[in-house]
Amino acid sequence: MLKNILNKSRQVWTPLARGLSKTNTQSNVAAESAAATNITKPALILPQDYADYAPLNRNAPRQAWIENIDAVAERKMGLIELHPDVFAAQPRVDVIQENIEWQRKYRYVSLAHAKTRAEVRGGGRKPWPQKGMGRARHGSIRSPLFKGGGVIHGPRSPTTHFYMLPFYKRVMGLTSTLSVKLAQDDLHVIENVDIPTRDAQFIKDLIAERNWGPSVLIVDKEYMFPENICYATDDLGYVNLMPAFGLNVYSMLKHDTLVLTVDAVKHLEQRLLYQQHRTDATSKGGKFKLDQV
Amino acid sequence: MAHLRETSDKALKLLRTLPRVQIGNLRPNPNSKQNDKRGRAQHGGDKHGAGNKGSGQRQNFMRLGYETGNQPFYLRFPYEPYYKGHHMKRQYPPISLLQLQVLIDTNRIDISQPVDISTLCNSGLLKLKPAEMEYGFQLTDEGLDNFKAKINIEVQHANEAVIAAIERNGGVIRTAYYDPRSLHMLANAKKWFEKGVPIPYRMMPPQDAVDYYTDAKNRGYLANPEEISKDRLVLAQKYGYQLPRIEDDSAYEMLSATKDPRQVFYGLEPGWLINVVDKTIMRRKK
Repeated sequence: MLKNILNKSRQVWTPLARGLSKTNTQSNVAAESAAATNITKPALILPQDYADYAPLNRNAPRQAWIENIDAVAERKMGLIELHPDVFAAQPRVDVIQENIEWQRKYRYVSLAHAKTRAEVRGGGRKPWPQKGMGRARHGSIRSPLFKGGGVIHGPRSPTTHFYMLPFYKRVMGLTSTLSVKLAQDDLHVIENVDIPTRDAQFIKDLIAERNWGPSVLIVDKEYMFPENICYATDDLGYVNLMPAFGLNVYSMLKHDTLVLTVDAVKHLEQRLLYQQHRTDATSKGGKFKLDQV
Repeated sequence: MAHLRETSDKALKLLRTLPRVQIGNLRPNPNSKQNDKRGRAQHGGDKHGAGNKGSGQRQNFMRLGYETGNQPFYLRFPYEPYYKGHHMKRQYPPISLLQLQVLIDTNRIDISQPVDISTLCNSGLLKLKPAEMEYGFQLTDEGLDNFKAKINIEVQHANEAVIAAIERNGGVIRTAYYDPRSLHMLANAKKWFEKGVPIPYRMMPPQDAVDYYTDAKNRGYLANPEEISKDRLVLAQKYGYQLPRIEDDSAYEMLSATKDPRQVFYGLEPGWLINVVDKTIMRRKK
């Protein structure tokens, strides 16, 4: 049972494994890691401090391996405990969809345009007399009934599709997506973003070796990434870097694998838990104003 | 909430066996989107749901109370004095002792400080709208038996049982009047301080409220303090509890804190200016 857990790159706890006491599990992990061949540092075990925000569900602990990124071969550097309210939240796929739709729409301006009968050139003259011609009565050759005439209720440019999704739907979108990614083994935690070379082949090999991807989104807390990883991923369209403040539902789903640094995990947890627990939450429920801070 | 916790765990376990959630395989919940198109023919065409003839079809619905030519009921009887001047009456939105206890237990308000309107409004759960003739909060007796906190609270209206419930625990209650402008300041103090205007005086109560606020039975802020302490004993005897001695209490300083009748905020005098940006107070010269 335990061996099975350790062999996987990350394990969402099964009900059986939940029965194990925390100290027992951690000491075993430490022993296993120490036994690994090329360990230079002691294993990093980052237990969560739930003092500020107690988890809603204490029966759903989540843990993730902290992986190295300084070599292609995978080494487990430690374990990180993830807050269940962020990484084991209710996977509201419908809210994720609403977020995707919102992200697509809020900045979309439709430039489709059709002319009305008044705007089409010509048509000011009555085409033929009202009576005596044996023909239907018409007042303009640009009437909507005519070929080449104006369009009724046609698209008018520019049409904005801007709206704001309610604030807490956006928060729920982020927690849902993170939870889904973790549950589907598409979320990986790395210790930092320091890679030894600026060669793109290194990243390609690393992704192939670890069964990431094909597309990978790497998220760090800081917005300035180290030089090496910037050069290495610059030409790879399917590997992208993003600071934690820019993390959004669309980008997370656009990429198959989400890779977070330890700092980013802690930062995201702190921000999302703050939003879930803030006492002035009602102030975020108001109408969106253009000049708000 | 328990079912939610369990379902989230179940759903996440299910997701492990399902294909990867991606942009391409998401769709909105069934029937969650309303079709705003006006269908033709069998797709809701014909009369488009508006019916045949009359105000239904023409969408010119009658005004409320209109009886198609009869003298309407609401005009039939000329004298209805029940609501005369109701728009002028002072409103006191209720908060119960139960609500107050929950606010305290969930750390929404800090009872090591005196509690007033601004404390209640800053909890984020209670709102006061002075513009809608709301003149403060009244404390009601729901959850009276379960009220356990020792607090110094100032509300605008309270009945005898509520006063007894608070004093039984060694607490202090005052009823006080605030004019609409002071209420406006208290309801969102930070926003008001940002205006950068000196704090004004609180106004005295209007004539019809003087009786209430000068009565020691109501623990009015204009009542004689000696009468109030006498009435505290009387109330203790009436309800049959031992009145805790506030003088011997370690929190005597907090429990005995009161505002001046012309003062709006605890610790801030009229004429002072609050700088929210620099977090400084500009005091008046003595």
